[in-house]
Amino acid sequence: MSTRKLVVIGAGMASGRALEHLFEAAPGQWDVTLFNAEPRGNYNRIMLSPVLSGEKSYGEIVIHDDDWYAQHGVTCRFGEKVLSIDADAKLVEGEKGVVPYDKLLIATGSTPFIVPLPGHDLDGVIAYRDLEDTNRMIDAAATPGARVVVIGGGLLGLEAAAGLRLRGMEVTVVHLMGHLMDRQLDESAGFLLRKSLESRGIDIRCGANSKEILGENGKVRALLLDDGTELSCDLLVMAVGIRPNIALAKEAGLATGRGIHVDGQMITSNADILSVGECIEHDGAVFGLVAPLYDQAKVAAQTLLGTHATFVQKQLSTKLKVTGCDLFSAGDFAEGDGREDIVFRDPGRGIYKRLVIEGHRLIGAVMYGDTADSNWFFGLIRDGTDIDDMRETLIFGPAYQGGASADPLSAVAALPPEAEICGCNGICKGTITDAIAGGATDLGAVRAQTKASASCGTCTGLVEQLLQVTLGDAFQMPAAQPICGCCDLSHEDVRRLIKAQELKSQEAVWQELGWKTRNGCHVCRPAVNFYLLADWPLEYRDDPQSRFVNERKHANIQKDGTFSVVPRMWGGITTPAELRAIADAAEKYAVPTVKVTGGQRIDLLGVKGEDLPGIWADLNAAGLVSGHAYSKGLRTVKTCVGTDHCRFGTQDSTGLGVKLEQILWGSWTPHKVKLAVSGCPRNCAEATCKDVGIVCVDSGYQVGVGGAAGMDVKETERLGDAATEQEAIDLTVAFIQLYRENAKYLDRPYKWVAKVGLDWVKARVVDDLDERARLIAAFDLSQSIYRKDPWAEEAKRAPAFQPVADLTLEAAE
Amino acid sequence: MDGKIDTPTDTFIQVAEVWVPKDDVLVYAAGDTNGLGAFEEASRGTRFAKGEGLPGKAWAEARPVVLKGFDGSYFKRTEVAKEAGLSAAVAVPVFDGDTLKAVLVVLCGDDAERIGAIEVWTANRDGLLMLDDGYYGAAEEFAFVSQHTCFPRGQGLPGGVWAADAPILMRDLGSGYKFVRASAAGKAGLTSGIGLPVRVPGGTPYVLTLLSALGTPIARRFEVWAVKRGGKAVLIDGVCEREGALWRDDGDGTRAEAPKAEAWKGPVGQVLGTGLPVVQRGAGGLPAGYGAFVGLPSYGGGAMTHIVAWYI
Repeated sequence: MSTRKLVVIGAGMASGRALEHLFEAAPGQWDVTLFNAEPRGNYNRIMLSPVLSGEKSYGEIVIHDDDWYAQHGVTCRFGEKVLSIDADAKLVEGEKGVVPYDKLLIATGSTPFIVPLPGHDLDGVIAYRDLEDTNRMIDAAATPGARVVVIGGGLLGLEAAAGLRLRGMEVTVVHLMGHLMDRQLDESAGFLLRKSLESRGIDIRCGANSKEILGENGKVRALLLDDGTELSCDLLVMAVGIRPNIALAKEAGLATGRGIHVDGQMITSNADILSVGECIEHDGAVFGLVAPLYDQAKVAAQTLLGTHATFVQKQLSTKLKVTGCDLFSAGDFAEGDGREDIVFRDPGRGIYKRLVIEGHRLIGAVMYGDTADSNWFFGLIRDGTDIDDMRETLIFGPAYQGGASADPLSAVAALPPEAEICGCNGICKGTITDAIAGGATDLGAVRAQTKASASCGTCTGLVEQLLQVTLGDAFQMPAAQPICGCCDLSHEDVRRLIKAQELKSQEAVWQELGWKTRNGCHVCRPAVNFYLLADWPLEYRDDPQSRFVNERKHANIQKDGTFSVVPRMWGGITTPAELRAIADAAEKYAVPTVKVTGGQRIDLLGVKGEDLPGIWADLNAAGLVSGHAYSKGLRTVKTCVGTDHCRFGTQDSTGLGVKLEQILWGSWTPHKVKLAVSGCPRNCAEATCKDVGIVCVDSGYQVGVGGAAGMDVKETERLGDAATEQEAIDLTVAFIQLYRENAKYLDRPYKWVAKVGLDWVKARVVDDLDERARLIAAFDLSQSIYRKDPWAEEAKRAPAFQPVADLTLEAAE
Repeated sequence: MDGKIDTPTDTFIQVAEVWVPKDDVLVYAAGDTNGLGAFEEASRGTRFAKGEGLPGKAWAEARPVVLKGFDGSYFKRTEVAKEAGLSAAVAVPVFDGDTLKAVLVVLCGDDAERIGAIEVWTANRDGLLMLDDGYYGAAEEFAFVSQHTCFPRGQGLPGGVWAADAPILMRDLGSGYKFVRASAAGKAGLTSGIGLPVRVPGGTPYVLTLLSALGTPIARRFEVWAVKRGGKAVLIDGVCEREGALWRDDGDGTRAEAPKAEAWKGPVGQVLGTGLPVVQRGAGGLPAGYGAFVGLPSYGGGAMTHIVAWYI
């Protein structure tokens, strides 16, 4: 058989594999000329990251060396760019001359995407694509004190970050999305990955938008974010994605879209030109991982050999090459109707596994910390295996299939005696079972004797299971109610652990406290959202999606789907101008009912959802803000007229009410909070049935707390007496903050005080002046974030506002 | 590979021994004394109570211990060691939770030409990794620089191992790093290094590093194995003077082609099966061209997590 001429453009992994197949099947049949813009042959580009980190050498990742090319008679034209393809004449023109072909294989790969930020062309701004980029980073790392900013928290960006950190650089990763590797991981796995990378000293900035690259003398100096943050750097690495390199093919007249169009045989729109790798587009898809590239290479070789083969897109899996970050992701793990999640977490070992099932099949998997069974799960996804028979034990992997018990106790029973149960105190199973055998028959006794579960408490469930395993029916599981079915912990435990473990995000709570669901439910999410924002006002951002519908819509939804709108009237005081604005708004938006409320406000009932932004904007323009009549927060401070007008008034009750409301408004609390200030013991403002009620007397202010006038009716109890107005304010603010920091979500203050005891509250708010000052300072800090009008924020977004479809009802007020 | 047996290179570590607890003392379980028969005989006849001698000290103090001179020390086999030309030793305890599985002791010679490093790093109160102790042979300048270097989590070989909580095998110690220690390593001829976490009761972090020079390498082949469920292990990294890179990875996350080991099969399988360090002299079961093997397991979460192996 005569030798045929094959020209290959691009010596990457895809074309290299194609040549291997070709030479193996038909040695000597092809006279190959191989162009490569890089001055070298085929190397394992995927493993550049370990070369960057020093965990591999370049020599180890060379796939084809000079000997290999010589052995197969390949004419190497490395370091020579191809200038053009003449598809009619079947010629390829390189910088050093023209080469004719019978068949042409285009494998031009991809080019890194450079975000066109101002300053992107400064010296020191690089992409991360090839050995030159890698060596440049290694050289930069050798400079003492050198800083690098990596834009992009995907696979490549994080590998670059970890490698540069290992080499001693100060590294910041800037990622536009809310969590790392957002295309491959869900939020929970992203949280664990972030935690691991931050523990290496890498500064991670998620949700960060780059605005400009700042330079000095033509060299990069810093990255400026759109929030004004300036991140100084000596090197800026952009790792935000790749684009198929299609310029040559396009100029040659081949059909292109996002990539070079190929059919199932890897043939382009020209029958003599094939294409493989990251430069192609097949059936609407482009490719960045190596597995499909190797499949394409095999098909291309067979097409060249005249054998029929067809490229089929398959499921892909992902691996991050950072030692110690063990993660796996495959398939589709987006939420969707008809999809079911199975979640397993082991906070002690930093393990998270989530399987997504649709119908009878596993369609996606995300894992962090333990990926030992990833091959097996990947096989189930790829093969579309019916998993119905192993659904109950699927998450535990292949070792648990084939009749193993689904009983979680069996896993605990199977643990060896030396297995560590309590990570905080290093207590192993044997120590606990010895204590149980010695008479410690409840959790408290085990804690006292062994210290197991005495610190962070996350192993409490395991210790209780050990009690069950050891004592059988003689052990009764404690009756403490968990928040919901998503976890084993009570509200109080969750609050305590959020503080003790400094958990500052929902993902941290789900993972570290062993949530059994992916991201909670309608019961636990609002509670956890509140606990987080109350404990970490600066670090945590309120999550509107974790709020009840009224709080999301900043209005009370009514039984007909309309809303009620209540503007704030400080202390129940208003003005003619405000009343006119309210009247105008009521007329303009055809409000059917205008009602004066028990809290001394005016309620506009029957506002249509689509009118909310407009009515808010009109009321804002008149100086009125949201009355938060819908919130788990401060509602109203009701006052009587006090010394200004009343013959019996002893103090300026109205003035105090206005001050209190202006201090407290906007704060989120476990449940709604209502205040009142009465100017004298005649108590016209009905202060003695409020959450906080102040009764003014000649000698000062009697501050009562824990009143109720709803489902339960209860008189306030005296927290303390204040001689001055400022002291009355201080006592009130400290009490509210103590309530915010400690109460169970949806416990009104009277329920909370009944649980902890008024003496406990007094000890902190009244007697301990340092603690009172701390509480006030903590409240002020929180209010620096939350004392703002949500209506104004929402009104700005008016065009995007959509009426809610979710008409979940809550008692209208 | 052609299977040619290379001329044996003089290695940095001369002797390796495994001591296991039995009836409240440590007894000699296995060793490669590199032909130093008298030393082996002395070892076989010795027992160490907790706190006694070098292995007993590593057990009692639950930490790796470096001993750089035997005279006047607690080392029990001083005379016979000196006769064998051994002058320094490092004891590495292997704990599974609170339970001591074994102590690996390696001994080095006092040749003025011998370059290498065996180091133990631990965290100080500021959260930085400091040199606890180390033996460097003739690499004195590097020893000095190391004593004055600290690593934050995630930086350098020790900091990288600490952060990853996993063994790391570094190829090129001498260039492209911020640390002064890196250039000192380059000057000393230390080219590659392996680091592994040594987990002890109480959770104090210890990192053991073995740094290798071309002339007197720690070993000529290193392997890092990740232990999976069911008594199996997968090779996740490795380099060999003869075979080059040992790892297989196409980057698709599944590592289907990675070499695997099973309990009791081959030397790595012995580590898996016994759960103990394994020291072997003799080519049986070893890759072509090698005559000695040391496999060191590490445990975490109640199970073996990794095996670091080196071949001479």
